[in-house]
Amino acid sequence: MNDQVTISPTTLSLNLTINGRTQALEIEPRVTLLDALRERLHLTGTKKGCDQGQCGACTVHVDGERVLACLTLAAQVEGRSITTIEGLAGEDGTLHAVQAAFLEQDAFQCGYCTPGQIMSAVACIREGHAGSDEEIREYMAGNLCRCGAYPHIVAAIRQAAQELRS
Amino acid sequence: MTVHDMKHAASDSARLEAVGGRLSRVDGPAKITGAAKYAFEQQLEGLTHAVLVGATIAAGKVTAIDARAAETAPGVLAVLTPDTIMELRGASDWLGNPPSQPTYAPLVREVTFSGQHVAAVVAETFEQAVAAAALVKVWYDETPAIVDLSDGKAGDGIPIDAMTKEWGDAEAAFAEAPVRICAAYNTPREFQAAMEPHGLIARWEGDELTIWEPSQWLDGMARTYAEWFGLPFENVRLVSPYIGGGFGSKALALAHSAVAAAAARMLDRPVKLVLTRPQNFTSYGGRAATRQTVAIGADRDGKIQSIVHRGVNETAVDGMWVEPLGSVTSIMYATPNFSSKQNVVRVNTVVPGAKRAPGENPSAFGIESAIDELAYELGIDPLEMRLINYAEQDPHAKKAWSTRQLREAFAAGAEAFGWAKRSNAPRSMRDGRQLIGWGVAAGTYPVRRAHGEAVVKLLSDGSVEVESSSIDMGQGTYTILAQTAAETLGVPVERVSVKLGDSHFARAGVTGGSRLAGVMTGAVHKAAGQALDELIGLALSDPRSPFQKLQANTLQVRDGRIASPRGEGPDLSIADFMMAIGRDQIEAKGDTLPASTTPEERYKNYTTIAMSIPHTEGDYSRHSWCAHFVEVRVDEDFGTVRVSRVVSALDSGRLYNPKLAESQWKGGIIMGIGQALLEEGIVDRRHGRIVNGNFADYMLPTNADIPDIQTISVGIPDPHSSALGGKGVGELAIVGIAPAIANAVFHATGKRVRDLPITLEKLI
Ligand code: FES
Ligand code: FES
Repeated sequence: MNDQVTISPTTLSLNLTINGRTQALEIEPRVTLLDALRERLHLTGTKKGCDQGQCGACTVHVDGERVLACLTLAAQVEGRSITTIEGLAGEDGTLHAVQAAFLEQDAFQCGYCTPGQIMSAVACIREGHAGSDEEIREYMAGNLCRCGAYPHIVAAIRQAAQELRS
Repeated sequence: MTVHDMKHAASDSARLEAVGGRLSRVDGPAKITGAAKYAFEQQLEGLTHAVLVGATIAAGKVTAIDARAAETAPGVLAVLTPDTIMELRGASDWLGNPPSQPTYAPLVREVTFSGQHVAAVVAETFEQAVAAAALVKVWYDETPAIVDLSDGKAGDGIPIDAMTKEWGDAEAAFAEAPVRICAAYNTPREFQAAMEPHGLIARWEGDELTIWEPSQWLDGMARTYAEWFGLPFENVRLVSPYIGGGFGSKALALAHSAVAAAAARMLDRPVKLVLTRPQNFTSYGGRAATRQTVAIGADRDGKIQSIVHRGVNETAVDGMWVEPLGSVTSIMYATPNFSSKQNVVRVNTVVPGAKRAPGENPSAFGIESAIDELAYELGIDPLEMRLINYAEQDPHAKKAWSTRQLREAFAAGAEAFGWAKRSNAPRSMRDGRQLIGWGVAAGTYPVRRAHGEAVVKLLSDGSVEVESSSIDMGQGTYTILAQTAAETLGVPVERVSVKLGDSHFARAGVTGGSRLAGVMTGAVHKAAGQALDELIGLALSDPRSPFQKLQANTLQVRDGRIASPRGEGPDLSIADFMMAIGRDQIEAKGDTLPASTTPEERYKNYTTIAMSIPHTEGDYSRHSWCAHFVEVRVDEDFGTVRVSRVVSALDSGRLYNPKLAESQWKGGIIMGIGQALLEEGIVDRRHGRIVNGNFADYMLPTNADIPDIQTISVGIPDPHSSALGGKGVGELAIVGIAPAIANAVFHATGKRVRDLPITLEKLI
C-alpha cells in the first residue's frame, strides 16, 4: 500500500426513495446502501451480519427484487424504489402475510436474521419459488439463520404463499 | 418491551397465556417489523466509529507501529496503539478470582494469536475508520507458533486434576473384559457464529459509563467494566434489549469492549465498535478443539464392565479453558469401573470459550459413538445396547436422578421414527445410488441452578410491569416471564409488559448453561406472588377498599378483576380498585436467595458464577435428557451426506412454553447437524491463522441442508430442578446429534468416522 494515499472527502448528494418516501443524503460514494440505511437514516431493521454478501441479513428489495444491501452502494440505487422491513406492513400497521406467518410459526428466535429472511421470503413467493418445501429451502438458502429456525421458516413461507394465492 | 400482538392468541387465550401455553413470542411483533433496536443500533448524538487492527502473526512481538498516515486521514480522531491507549486496571474473572495482573492492556505488544488487537482507529464515520485502519503499518518480530493440537510442538499438555473421575479399577477391568473396543474421537475448533456480530457503543457522562452491548450477562459484564475503569459498580450501566444470538459467546466483556470504552473515555465522545465478521472468528473463543479416547470393556451380553476415558482440549498460551470432556462419559451408562482424565494443551489461539453445551457436546460425541461401536462389535441393536446399560441412578454421584425420562425418550423416539423397521447390518438399506443409514444417540445436560431477582409492578391502570436485568437472545424470556406474571397475578397476558436487558433493573446472573428460565420464572413467580398478596391485603384491610366491609379472609384475582371466591360482594377491576384506594402502584421485589444473604453475597451471586448451585446438591442428580434418531442418505459415488430425517424425544421437565422450547430444541439439532457435517475452523500451518473466518468458508447449515425435524416432549415436572418444574432446554438438544449422525453414516456405509466434521473425503 502507498503511504501517500489520500482519501477523497468528496460527498455525493443523493435522493433515495425508501418505503415510498424520498430522502436526501450527503454521503461519500463508498457508503453502502446498508450503512446508509442503518447509520444515516436510522432504519436499523435491515441487519448487518457479515458485510460480505455471505449471510442475507441485509436483504432489501430494489424495484421489487431481493438485493444484498451490503454489496450495493447507496449511489447505485438512486431513482430506484427501495423497500426495507420497515416498509412491509401496511400504513395502518397490518402485517404482511409473511410477517404474520413468521409470528404464528415461530420462524425466528433471536430475530437478527429475520428481517432479511422476511424480505427474501416475500420475494421468493413473488418469484414463484415457493411451490414446494424443497423449492422454498433451495431459494431461501442464501439467508443464514444461526438460531436454526429453518423448518419454521419453511412452514411460514408455505402458509403465507397459500394465503397470498387465495 | 411493550409491544404485544395477541391476534394469534385470541382463539383460546386462557390456555395459551398460562405457563405451559403455546403463546407466540411477545417480542415477535417488534422483531418482524424491524422495530426492535438491538444494542448497538442506538442512535446517539456525536457518535464516532472505531475499527480494530489485528496482528498478522500468531506469536511474537510488535516492534513498531507507524500510525502517521492513518492519523492524518480524513475524519480520523485518534489512532490507539499499545503506547497511546489509556491504562486500565486488571479485572477479576467470572469466578470472582482477583486479577492476576494489576493492569490490563487490550491492545498488545506481545502477540499470542493471530488477529489479536494491536491498534484501533477512531473516526467520524465508519467508512473513514475502515479506510484509515488499512493505513496503519505494523512491524513484527515473529516467533514460531504452536498452531493447533496436532502441532509437533504442542506436547501432551497440563493435567487438570479437577477433571479426574474414577471409581473401581477401570484399567484392570478393561483388560479382563471379554469384549473390548477402544478408539479416538476428535472434534475441531468450532465457532458460535451468532448472526449479530459482537460490538458495542460506549458513552461516558462524567464518571458514568453506559454500554450498549449484546450481552448474556449484564451484571457480570458491568462488573468487569467497573473494575477496568476503577468505578463503583453502580456507575456502569449495560443495556442489551435484544441479542442477535449468543450461544455462549456474549457473556463476557472482551478486549474489543475495553478498547471501545477506553476510546470513548479518551475522546470524550461516544464510540461504536463492531467487529467485522472475520474478526468474530479471532476476537473471542469458539469451542476448543478436542481429542478423546474411549475404551469400553463389556460382557458378551453387552453389559459394560469398564470405561476408560482420556481427553485433551486446546487452550490459549495466556488463558485457560477447560472443556469438560468426561461430563457425559461419567453419567450416561452404568458401569462398575470408570476412569476419566483430562489434559489441556496450550496453542496460539484466542482463549477458547463456551459454545452451546460446552463439555457435554464433545463428551457425547465420544461416548455415544463408542457405545455404537460396542453394539456392532457384539451384534446388538444400538438402541437395545443403550437400554442394557441404562443407568438407574447417577453412576458418578451415586445419587438418584431427580427425573430421568430417557427410557421414555428412547421409546417415543423409536416409535415415531420407525426404528423397529431398521435392519442392523451396515450397508443394508438403500434407495438407488443412495445408501441409507439410521442412527441413534442420547444426550444430556445438567440442570444449572442459581438465584435471581425480579421486580413486579401493578400499575394504576391495572397493567403489570416486570423488570429484570436478565436477557432474551431468542430463548423466549420476554414471553415466559409475561406468562408467569400473568398466571401468578391473574391478569391477561396482554396487560403484562416485560422489561429486560438493562443492568439498572433488578439483578440477574449469567444467561448460560440453560439456567435462566428456571431461575427467572422462579423469581418472577415469587415477586408476582408478593405483589398479589399486597393487593389482596389492601383490598381486605384498606379503609377505602370496597371489599373491606365483606369481612372476607381472602379474595381472588382473575382476568384482572378482584372478587370474593364465593362471588358475593363487589367485583372490581384492578384499575378501579387502585383508584378507589388512591394507589399509583404496588411494587414487589422478589428474589430466590435465602433471607440471610448479605449484600456482598448478593453482588457476588449476580456478578460471578461462584455461587451457582451444584446439580448434584442434596439427594438428587439433576439433568435434562434426550434421544435422537437420525436418517442419513449417503451418495455411494460421491460420499456426500444429507440428513434426511430427525426425530428427537426430549426431557426438559415441564415446558414453560412448548412452542418456544420446540424452536430452541430444533435450533440445537440444526447446530448439531452443522457440527457433524460442515463446521471446522481451519488453521494455516505457516502463520497460525484461521483461514476460513467468514460465512462462506466456515460453513453453517443453510435452509437447504435441513430436513423436517420432529421433536417430542417426554418431560414431567421436576420439583427438584426449579420452582415451576422445568429443566434446561437450550443446550440439551445439540448434545448427541453429531454421534447420532456419525452412527447413521456408519450404518449407511460401514465406515466409522471419528473425526468431525464428516466430509466426503472421509467416506470415499
Ligand atoms: S450483511 Fe449483507 S449478506 Fe451479510
Ligand atoms: S433467528 Fe437468530 S439468526 Fe435467525
